[in-house]
Amino acid sequence: MDFLGEGLRRAVALLFSGDADVYGIALLTLKIGLIATVLACGLGIPVGFVLATRPFWGRRAALTVVNTALAFPTVVVGLLLYGVLSRRGPLGGLEWLYTWQAIVVGDVLLALPIAAALAAAAVQGVDPRIRRTAETLGANRWRTAWTVAREARFALAAVITTAFGHVVAEIGSAMTVGGNIRGQTRTLTTAVALYTSQGDFGLALALGLILLLLALLVNVALQALQGRGHA
Amino acid sequence: MLELVGVRHRYDGRLVLDIERFAVAAGAGVAIVGPNGSGKSTLLRLLALLERPSEGEVRLGGVVVAGGKAPLAGAGARRRITLVEQRPVLLRGTVRENLEFGLQVRGIRRTEVNSRVDSVAARLAITPLLQRRRHELSDGEVQRVAVARALAVEPDVLLLDEPASSADRAAAQTLYRALAEERARRPLAVCLASHQLEDAYRWADDVRALAEGRLSPVTPENLFRVELPASGSGGDLQHVCVGPIEIAATTDKTGHAILAVPPTDIFVSREPLASSARNVFVGRVTRLAHQRPGAVHVTADVGVELVAVVTEEAARDLGLTPGGPVVFSFKASAVRVF
Repeated sequence: MDFLGEGLRRAVALLFSGDADVYGIALLTLKIGLIATVLACGLGIPVGFVLATRPFWGRRAALTVVNTALAFPTVVVGLLLYGVLSRRGPLGGLEWLYTWQAIVVGDVLLALPIAAALAAAAVQGVDPRIRRTAETLGANRWRTAWTVAREARFALAAVITTAFGHVVAEIGSAMTVGGNIRGQTRTLTTAVALYTSQGDFGLALALGLILLLLALLVNVALQALQGRGHA
Repeated sequence: MLELVGVRHRYDGRLVLDIERFAVAAGAGVAIVGPNGSGKSTLLRLLALLERPSEGEVRLGGVVVAGGKAPLAGAGARRRITLVEQRPVLLRGTVRENLEFGLQVRGIRRTEVNSRVDSVAARLAITPLLQRRRHELSDGEVQRVAVARALAVEPDVLLLDEPASSADRAAAQTLYRALAEERARRPLAVCLASHQLEDAYRWADDVRALAEGRLSPVTPENLFRVELPASGSGGDLQHVCVGPIEIAATTDKTGHAILAVPPTDIFVSREPLASSARNVFVGRVTRLAHQRPGAVHVTADVGVELVAVVTEEAARDLGLTPGGPVVFSFKASAVRVF
């Protein structure tokens, strides 16, 4: 137990010391997390809307695919993306392998089905009379979607929170396509794994605490936004 | 103006509406009367272009706007028709924001929006509610706000599904008065679904009955769901059980059917008449209603409730009073089975 307490003391000290390495890793994680969340939700939430509201051939199959993709192992996504981005892969020309952009792509691939599936569930949970009311009052497709989204705002905020949480906590894909390069692609999760394996438990714990703090801050920010809304 | 042609609509393969033709003319007042589950709400949703019929077409001004090869109508066609659902919901925001919604999506200028909202709120007596939100309103208030919201956009056709079901007497009167004023002001067609005949007769020019998804060929009173024996042969007289009584009818139908007795085909007397009528029922008057000038609707309990229509003069001569004895007679051939 001593080493746990020692680790925790070291973590707190590192957090308040303004260690450039620690904060560099945290900022990179935040940047990747925010970009990946915006892209995944920007694409996934409209897909969820379509799945929930538009009857089309193959809709049920599409929903099954999206729901199955929720359970996609992150390391498998990393592996496939590695193949695509490697020098001999179809997108090798981009030279994104072992860059933070590659981690973003992997995170988007992992978070997109989450955003789509949860958004579909959120929209399906809205009283169908809301959509009919907007339509019968003359709203076009976009205005109707916006009206429904306003009703589902709490559930949609949860979609964003979940997507962000998934992205910042992901390690398999980040390690495979990012390579855990110090100062370039080292994120909080890959750093925690590295420092733990090196026996630097205090540093690993400090980074873990920052990860929790990030998730907490995003949740608090979203809750504050929701709190401003009225029925 | 707005019509359904050859519409058959299904939910999960189950036929819920089967209508050869139903039209709402410009400026008309049409009431659809029928029991719960008869298809009234589905009919209104199809007319409102909120659903695409499984078969058949919806036409607006002669143009197919839903069904056939046409995609479901866009906002342009929908903006000419507005539906108020039986249990309407208010959108997020204040009552004023709800009234503004339909005007804003039409790109109407702010000053005009304010003027229309204030005017319609005054007509529906909801001005004190304008700053309230949906959770601060009763069901009856929500219903009035929903009607005001629909009137604010000044549609060509207003569809109302049981608009006074949650309203008290005063609120219902306010609502119907506002509708009458609106129709006097401009050519607004109103199509109202109700299970209350009195409401329908009070203001509609045309009352249509809907039973089990089909429009009745007769007026909406005296409609009964019946089960006809399978052994019936063409044109035979059949005695059909309707509650505790048996009604004689000539029909070649078998199985599940709707039986209708047109109120104008019922002879009303104080004593049984010596006549060819196969159906003679003795009962008591339960209600006398003056729903149209010169006509009295006589409701009697003869085992089931039947309604007959007589002239005011006949009602006076017969001395009909609520609770008094009455005899209803009608021929088997007057009974419609469909």
